[in-house]
Amino acid sequence: MLRHTIALLVLGWFLPGAWQQVLGQSTFVVSGVITATDMGEMGLPSVNVLEKGTFNGTVTDLDGAYTLTVSSPEAVIEVSFIGYLTKSVEVNGRANVNVELQPDVLGLEEAVVVGYGNQKRSQISGAVGKIGSKEITSVPVLRTEQALQGRAAGVQVSQNSGQPGSTQSIRIRGTGSLNNAEPLYVVDGIPSFGIDYLNPSDIESISVLKDAASAAIYGARGGNGVVLITTKKGSMNAKPQISYETYYGTQEPWKYMALLNAEQYAILQNESRAAAGLSPEPGLANPALLGEGTDWQDAIFQRAPIVNHSVSYIQGTGRSSTSIGASHFAQDGIIGGEKGRFERTTFRVNTRQEGSDRFRTGQNLNYTYIQRSALAENNEFTTPVVRALNMDPVTEVQRPDGEYAYSEYIDSDIANPVNQIAITNDNWTTNRFVGSAFAEYDILKNLSFRSTMSVDLSLGSQRIFNPAYDLGIGAGDPNRPAYEFREINSLILAENKWSNWQWENVANYKKSFENGDELAVTAGYSALYNQYTNLVGVRDSLASNDPDQAYLNNSLNAAEQAPTSSGGISQSAFLSNFVRVNYSVGDAWSFSGTVRRDGSSRFGENNRYGVFPSLSAAWNLKSLPWVDEKEWIDFAKLRASWGRNGNADGIGNFDFTSVVYNGLNYTFGLDQSQVNGAGPVTTSNPDLRWETVQQTNIGLDLDLYKGKVNFVFDYFIKNTNDMLAVVPLPGVVGLNPSATNVASARNSGVELMLGYRDNKGDWDYSINGNISFIRNEVTDLGEGGQPISTGTVFGVGEFVAFTEIDMPMAYFYGFETDGIFQTDEAAAANTAQPDAQAGDVIFVDQNNDGILDNDDKVMIGNPHPDFVYGLNAEVKYKRFDLSLFLQGSKGNDIYNGIFRYDLNTTNLPVAWLERWTGENTSNVLPRMSHSDPNRNFRVSDLFVEDGSYLRVKNVQLGYTLEPELAERLGIRSCRFYVAATNLFTFTSYSGLDPEIGSRGTLEIGIDRGFYPSPRMFMAGLNLNF
Amino acid sequence: MKHINHLSAAALAGMLMLSLPACKKEFLDINPLVGSTEANYYQTAADAQAAIVACYNPLQQEVTNIQGSSELSAHFRWYFGDIVSDDAIKGGSGDGDEPQLFLFENFQGNGSSKLVLGEWQAAYKGIAYCNLALARIPEIDMDEALKARFLAEAKFIRAYWYMNLVTMFGGVPLVLEPLAPSEYQQPRATAAEVWDQIELDLSEARVDLPSVSNAQVGRVTRGAATGMLVRAHIFQSEWEPAKNLADEVVASGDYTLDPDYGNIFKESGENGPGSMFEIQFMNASGGNWGNSLEGTFTNVFQRARGQFGGFGFNIPTEDFVNEFESDDPRLGHTVFRVGDIMGDRGEFTIDATGMPHEYYAKKYFISSAEEAPFGDPNPNGASNDRVLRYADLLLMRAEASYHMGDVTTAVESINAVRQRAFGDDAHNIQGGGPALLDAIYHERRVELGLEGHRFFDLVRQGRAAEFLSPIGFQEGTHELFPIPEVEITLSEGLITQNPGY
Repeated sequence: MLRHTIALLVLGWFLPGAWQQVLGQSTFVVSGVITATDMGEMGLPSVNVLEKGTFNGTVTDLDGAYTLTVSSPEAVIEVSFIGYLTKSVEVNGRANVNVELQPDVLGLEEAVVVGYGNQKRSQISGAVGKIGSKEITSVPVLRTEQALQGRAAGVQVSQNSGQPGSTQSIRIRGTGSLNNAEPLYVVDGIPSFGIDYLNPSDIESISVLKDAASAAIYGARGGNGVVLITTKKGSMNAKPQISYETYYGTQEPWKYMALLNAEQYAILQNESRAAAGLSPEPGLANPALLGEGTDWQDAIFQRAPIVNHSVSYIQGTGRSSTSIGASHFAQDGIIGGEKGRFERTTFRVNTRQEGSDRFRTGQNLNYTYIQRSALAENNEFTTPVVRALNMDPVTEVQRPDGEYAYSEYIDSDIANPVNQIAITNDNWTTNRFVGSAFAEYDILKNLSFRSTMSVDLSLGSQRIFNPAYDLGIGAGDPNRPAYEFREINSLILAENKWSNWQWENVANYKKSFENGDELAVTAGYSALYNQYTNLVGVRDSLASNDPDQAYLNNSLNAAEQAPTSSGGISQSAFLSNFVRVNYSVGDAWSFSGTVRRDGSSRFGENNRYGVFPSLSAAWNLKSLPWVDEKEWIDFAKLRASWGRNGNADGIGNFDFTSVVYNGLNYTFGLDQSQVNGAGPVTTSNPDLRWETVQQTNIGLDLDLYKGKVNFVFDYFIKNTNDMLAVVPLPGVVGLNPSATNVASARNSGVELMLGYRDNKGDWDYSINGNISFIRNEVTDLGEGGQPISTGTVFGVGEFVAFTEIDMPMAYFYGFETDGIFQTDEAAAANTAQPDAQAGDVIFVDQNNDGILDNDDKVMIGNPHPDFVYGLNAEVKYKRFDLSLFLQGSKGNDIYNGIFRYDLNTTNLPVAWLERWTGENTSNVLPRMSHSDPNRNFRVSDLFVEDGSYLRVKNVQLGYTLEPELAERLGIRSCRFYVAATNLFTFTSYSGLDPEIGSRGTLEIGIDRGFYPSPRMFMAGLNLNF
Repeated sequence: MKHINHLSAAALAGMLMLSLPACKKEFLDINPLVGSTEANYYQTAADAQAAIVACYNPLQQEVTNIQGSSELSAHFRWYFGDIVSDDAIKGGSGDGDEPQLFLFENFQGNGSSKLVLGEWQAAYKGIAYCNLALARIPEIDMDEALKARFLAEAKFIRAYWYMNLVTMFGGVPLVLEPLAPSEYQQPRATAAEVWDQIELDLSEARVDLPSVSNAQVGRVTRGAATGMLVRAHIFQSEWEPAKNLADEVVASGDYTLDPDYGNIFKESGENGPGSMFEIQFMNASGGNWGNSLEGTFTNVFQRARGQFGGFGFNIPTEDFVNEFESDDPRLGHTVFRVGDIMGDRGEFTIDATGMPHEYYAKKYFISSAEEAPFGDPNPNGASNDRVLRYADLLLMRAEASYHMGDVTTAVESINAVRQRAFGDDAHNIQGGGPALLDAIYHERRVELGLEGHRFFDLVRQGRAAEFLSPIGFQEGTHELFPIPEVEITLSEGLITQNPGY
């Protein structure tokens, strides 16, 4: 029968007649009241009562009463409720069955969201990390991704910038791709590009599918892991509840770099010019007159507010539930204030209706409005940070006449950062609608079918207005640097539209066997279509220099400017089918097998479809008598899984073909006008396909001492094959090579989580820690194994990151240094550095061939940490609660590319006061020299620093109002708190922030003047009515 | 709801499930709506025209991405022609600014340099578009005369790139058609084979190209093709065909010398009466540091640093300045000396530049008023690259005539250049003999100074060791640049390195 049914479901689907065997049984009505041991006589509302092995079920009413029509008097009913152990009761012909539930102290019954369904924690056989709503909102998180940081082992979250609204980079079990290494986000079943549209308070739970077996049901897109986000749905028969959450805080920089003051700067500059045979700049000739000068960091940083309001309403009736949430969040930047503001307004309605015992529908609707103003960040050319750190301290912020001043000593990219902030008008406005609706019908008592349609429409407008300005003294001042004036204002407006839809049809079948075995099958089809269009308009010479009046039609320039407008479209589609079979043998074993087949328009015609299988098993060790008799072991489970999935999100829409594009233009005619040319840019690759990720996972879950101690261990090996890499073609081909599936990488590691909780009298306390060790290694780069150079840092004018076989991805690569030549004789003796003299850096000629070249570059640092960790401690005493959240990273290096050594007049850290100035004055920092014949600032270990840090992410003290007082005030509960974020950071790194994400997958831990995360102090209030 | 029959619900669900795969084929078959696949292109005369413009496009790409990476490589003609010679030193902010060029100017460069790789890739990219046009345009149904002209333009441009390659690297792979993946590894042809192909392409192109008076400004002309063919012969010391072709150009009367030498390098002098081939650059707005450019970087690269806002490359040497006769007005149009006024950017003082150099290159200097009005002015210089000037042709004619023993034509040609320069005939050269050849060499150096010729002239004249040994030139090696090592690897050993590298 079992085999027959599976065969029917998997192969034949709906063959007429097959159902006759399971249809047409007699019925029996059973009713009763559900109570709980810890709730006294009171009936529990919203409890699920289900006929075991079927979808036939109901929900208790406000008094805890239920009535259910079951298939026979011998049926078994299963009663389940969040936080309680599920109980199965044989009806045995009784019309009235009352059930008393027991609290689930260990959380074994906790439903964990997995792909296309839920599973009990006790039965999960893959590696899934879960973060509940309590953890998400316990610390005010600014972005949903932040809720994952330090909470789930194996998940590394790092911010790409501290600027409000900036993205975070998330790596689940290491960097598994040379291309896109970000996980797939699935929000309520909808694959989502970015999750910044979500209000963290709307989230019920986040599941992180870490191993291939858990993620395999997402096939070609699950290779980097999957983050499943479920929003709050409410429950039937739930009492109406209004919640209000708010916090207000202030942000500030937590660190300034110690830089030279004006006097010190002048001394070093004069020395540097003298070394090149130049006389001092007149303005710097007498350093003693210059004093402290300008602190440019102080000039750009400021305190900035952050505020959040969030309201939610939940209600359920016997046949429906509704959850409504609205929020407003605004954060100003600690640089530029409102010029770096991120503002998000969200509105969400989630509803469920039961049409009958067999028919259900549901809708999720989310609207988000985001307005973001941004300053340039994380590059060494145009950011306020890099300008403030490099700007000479002699120049004042403003001249006596009130105009911003320009520097007489430095030009090129280093312009006055305060003026730059003032003239930056770069705004993004996003209107995003995400919605889905489903209908579900129980065709049979143990077979249900759900069809879900969802849309994700995002309208993003960008407006960049570059006003005219001139910091010159008088009109046409010839001395002002090129970046300190703009004669004609200009405007760029871009309208972007992303519209995606998805249609999924999923059938669920489940069956219980008399011997206690259970079978659950999920099978479905999914079609996904993405479209992106954009429209860009550019005009100059606007009538007004006021950013509010920056519209294209205000241009006074009658002449046509080319190109004034541009726009395009790109589309892609996925078509997939999948099956998952879960089978549990009594309490002892549970097995899960998944197959997904994915087709995509992005894959080459020779590889349009891929198949992604997985298998996993869990063994409940309590089924062994010798474990079962150990009373201190509450629960023990051994897990093993293997699976294969793909990573397709790094592939462009038409990467497989050679597209002829317009725009290969040339200039003809007396008037020199542009004429359009067209040609292919890359070679085609009809074999193009997904990157294949194969992962094996072994894990152990332990709950000990009545749930006081819990422990999770995982070991994994994750091999990524078929990684897309651009393998260089011989130059004679003439076209750029398209990416090919040639490279491989391996991430292997260990994850540990350990928690302890207890209570004594009025004290409740818990401590939870997690740590993950991951080793990253490139194992293949295709024929020839051509290494990949990335991460140009302009201060040294070279690439600093290198990806090659048998080494970690994007490790730092350059010259090893060996101190400073103390004498000219020592320098002259070194033939590899013919231009060196006393005071110059000694670079190691690794191959001793007497020439210093690329062959002498070696690993000078590793941006990947040895381990990352998080620690969360909570203490509750009576109505007070105190929590501490630490997060850190150990063993990673940072490439400090903040200073523009290519320009020889930048400001420098005070460490340069200890530079070489004569024999034995320094063996670390070289002499100052404008001409720098030895190229002391080539890429070397001088710029690599230990990036390890430990951060006190959050400290929070809360107080919950006495229930009696609250009741008198007409509220259900009320909690106040004060919190500090990033209160302390322990690190030896010299830059503004050690917590540096990546810029693209292969630029990790390179500091180009990182926008630091602020330190925040906030006060908040949570109210429930 | 209760009336829904289980079987009909099952059937409905089944239909929903099955309706998806039914449209599977079309659903995943998405073709680009912006651009077109290569197979669907090259159908109309407009496609042919766009394909030819695409052949011209790489000429403007002097700072290009190294294939498949974000690494930029600059490969100006003056990098190798001037800096790697006794006319100029590198300059920049110091030795570390374009360090690989620093190595080449001291004859220490090697095949791992991105500079030679950039030059190699840029040339073959240009060649690939020409090969594609030459392969696909003949099938297009269109006006035959126009088609012939298009094909001639592609042949000229292909010959231009092969001439860059053969003068830099010697024999290189000769690719004349779009390559299939199985043909990606190509061996080197001999230098003679490459020269033969250049001659063939230019000879064929000459036939179908219009004369300068009938051509749109910027397009390749019959005179350009003939002049480049003269250059090809001169490089091979084939004096007779060089002289005959040069005579033909002179006789055509299509070109005259601009009476004002200084005007040649001004915006107003672009595509002037003596212009035979210029790479067109315009003062476009909003360019970027990458492949798609309409402006030149030469302006900003050669301009002095400090208040002049340039990068200060291609610094003329004392030796070069001393080459000019004391009353040669061309020095003032070629070199900025301390105290000169740099357009509207102010007076040239050492302090104002922040660098110790006493000279700067002038021919590609522009005032700030001539810069792009907005966008990044750096890649938006408007100065055309003067690849072939009538004065160059006359001096090649003089050189060929001298070797043919035709002293009269030689003297007539060189004096035409000198008369224009000095504005009189008092500076005319008299008589023949070795002194005449030296005079021609001198004239080339000063007339064409800092236009990217010097290194290649010295090599072809066999005089490189004489002038460049003091800065590291070794005879038998440095006549050619090293083949990019990457290309040797990627050819799977078919390409061999030049001797000495």
